[in-house]
Amino acid sequence: MNVRVRFFAQFGELLGTDIIAEPSSGVALDSLIKEIASKNKEGYDAIFDEHGSFREFVIIMRNGKRLDMADAKKARIADGDEIAVFPPVAGG
Amino acid sequence: MIAIRTDDVDIGKLIRDAKQRGTGAIVVFDGVVRDDDIKEMNLEAYEEVALKELERIAQDAKKKHNLLSVDIIHRTGRLVVGENILVIVVSAGHREEAYAGSRFIIEAIKAGVPIWKKELTKDGGRWVPGEHGHGAGSRKHK
Repeated sequence: MNVRVRFFAQFGELLGTDIIAEPSSGVALDSLIKEIASKNKEGYDAIFDEHGSFREFVIIMRNGKRLDMADAKKARIADGDEIAVFPPVAGG
Repeated sequence: MIAIRTDDVDIGKLIRDAKQRGTGAIVVFDGVVRDDDIKEMNLEAYEEVALKELERIAQDAKKKHNLLSVDIIHRTGRLVVGENILVIVVSAGHREEAYAGSRFIIEAIKAGVPIWKKELTKDGGRWVPGEHGHGAGSRKHK
C-alpha cells in the first residue's frame, strides 16, 4: 500500500518534506514514522524522545485531522493515508 | 477573501469592499516582518489544512461577534522586513464587535493554523517557536 508522509518546518528540513512510503498492511503509525525518521539521527531525535515516544510538542495529523497522542500510538495506517508530522505552529 | 498566497494584498481594496449595508466599523490587523536583526523571513504552510482552518475561524468569528465580513490573507514564501505577513479585515455594525472579532481571529490563527516562520539571519536561520508550546492548536479539525 502507499502512504504519503509530510514533515513540516524543522522536521521537513531534517527528514524531507514529502515522502511516499510503501509499508506493509496494518503497520502502526508510530512505527512508520520511526522507520522514516531513523535515516537522520537529528530528525529522529527532534520527533522522538529517548524512550522512543513522540515528544510532547509533536503534532500528528492523519488525512487533515489531528490525532491525540494516545491515538497516534495505536493508530494503524491504511492505504492512501496522508500523515503529517510537525512542531507547534507559529503563524500570524 | 480567505487566502494563503505569496503575493501581497491591496489593503485599501479590502477596506473598500468591506463597507456594506450596516457597516459602522472596520478593523484592520496587519502583521508585518519585524526588524529583529534578520534579513528575511521564510513562511511555510500545510496549505490544504491551513486554508480550511482559516475558513473555519472566519465563520466562527462571524457567528460569535456578529461580523458582516471577514478577510484573512496569510502570506507564505520569503518576505523582507516591513512586508505584510498577515492581513485581517473585519467589518461590523459597531466597534466593539469589530475589535473583538479581529482579536478572536488573530489569536485563533496563532493557536492552531499549521503555518511556520523561519527567520533568516546573516548567520543562518532560526525557526520561530510557537506561542502554544504544548502541542499547539485546535484539536477539533473538521
